[in-house]
Amino acid sequence: MSHEEAYSELAAIALGAASTEVSAAVREHAAACPECGPELVAMEEAVAQLGQLVPSAVVNRGRAAGIRSRLVMRARGERETRSSAAPRARPDLARGVASLTGLGHKLTPESQRAVEAEIRKVAPQEKRRTFVSGPVLLALAASIAFVVVAVQLGRVMAERDALRAEVASGADTANAPGTTGGRRAENEALVAAMASPDVKIVPLASGNATRMGRMFWNPSSNDWTFVVYTMPPPKPGMTYQIWLVTDSTKISAGTFNPDQRGHAFMQAKYALDRDALKAVAVTEEPAGGMPAPTGPIVISGSATP
Amino acid sequence: MNPSEQELPYTRDIRSNAEDVALIRRMCDADETALGALYDRWMRSLHSLVVHLLKDPDEAEDVVEETFWQAWRKASSYEPSRGAVSTWLLTIGRRRALDRLRAKARRREDSLTREGWVLAEMPSNAPDPLQTTEGAERRRHVLAALRELPEEQREVLELGYFKGLTQPEIAEATGQPLGTVKTRMRLAMQKLREPLSMYRESAP
Ligand SMILES: [Zn+2]
Repeated sequence: MSHEEAYSELAAIALGAASTEVSAAVREHAAACPECGPELVAMEEAVAQLGQLVPSAVVNRGRAAGIRSRLVMRARGERETRSSAAPRARPDLARGVASLTGLGHKLTPESQRAVEAEIRKVAPQEKRRTFVSGPVLLALAASIAFVVVAVQLGRVMAERDALRAEVASGADTANAPGTTGGRRAENEALVAAMASPDVKIVPLASGNATRMGRMFWNPSSNDWTFVVYTMPPPKPGMTYQIWLVTDSTKISAGTFNPDQRGHAFMQAKYALDRDALKAVAVTEEPAGGMPAPTGPIVISGSATP
Repeated sequence: MNPSEQELPYTRDIRSNAEDVALIRRMCDADETALGALYDRWMRSLHSLVVHLLKDPDEAEDVVEETFWQAWRKASSYEPSRGAVSTWLLTIGRRRALDRLRAKARRREDSLTREGWVLAEMPSNAPDPLQTTEGAERRRHVLAALRELPEEQREVLELGYFKGLTQPEIAEATGQPLGTVKTRMRLAMQKLREPLSMYRESAP
């Protein structure tokens, strides 16, 4: 691209109103051209000023605080993953909640592959599909039913994030019953459940670091809490299905579709032997769910660190 | 927990670019508190822009979150020579907002609606109480430059910036030949950047 051609496109590039091909060619030229380079920077600065001409919008402080908290927690989780791939054995209160909201740890690709191999090995899917009969299917499907706790999960997450900040600033009050209304009390109960010393946390991840989840399992109380973060919507006509993987079977734990923020948050009660759980996996399945996993594993994690 | 993480000042005071650059450096070193600090400094501006583009506070919050997350993930790709941190952030946010706007427009097939001119919605000269003196001054200059543009030049600028239309789309929306649109856009941008050159010269 000649200097003249590039120069004539600078305004469109700065505004983002040029096609990607033109934009790439012009930027390549501008990076080396003493005239186009600074001119493009100046125009982009001017464009940014345009962005600041808009009237100030009202900020919802609580929600803004929730977003901030979520960002910082996710960033912290990512940093901790970078510095040590080993998941912590026993999270403290703040850490447990941070894991919930920020979904801190994720598996390395190597351990991820190992887990997936392990899951495939437990029960080859084709075989299972052939041999599992109707009534058994029904029993499996009915054995554990996750309840979608929050429809507008984004809101709840934000509120819980704000709560988390409070809890972290005074951990002693965390287990005290809430005194300021139902939602708060509910959140605190949830936080307490997550932070119980008995709780088992299964981090779920994919090779793609943007999809992450957690299964919290309290074997004493049989409480299961499942949360995913930044999950893309399933393909049309498909749904996500959760599986509890044991040595002998894969138990369907129900289906879910994340909300527009990519969150899903579910709770269930289900008794399982303390040492039975080997892994948790989420697959993509035809809407309504399947008796045994048939689709690709979207996220998964090993229950035995 | 770092006590500063619990404070939400949202003031736009003392936001020098040098401080923003220092925050980006810390983010490159995986210091998540720097992300929180950057959020406190720019969340308001970014949120205002995105709300203005999308007209939907809920979606705007998503975009704000995505933008800061992208800033965290891509902090090392920020280059000081290519403009201020705020420019970089607002560019990411605007691009994300426009992507959503385009996706919605495709669904509703109303991508070329021209209602809601931006300038009309802007407060004339009312200073933003949260903005620094220098910021307010810049803003006045840019606004003045924008007001001095001939109507047809301002139109292409606004369709490009606030509606996210490409040049061919603007040509279609305005019924003008593509060449004319390109010329108008270039002239408008050149006039708009003039008042900013004085700030650039004083910059380090
Ligand atoms: Zn050139």
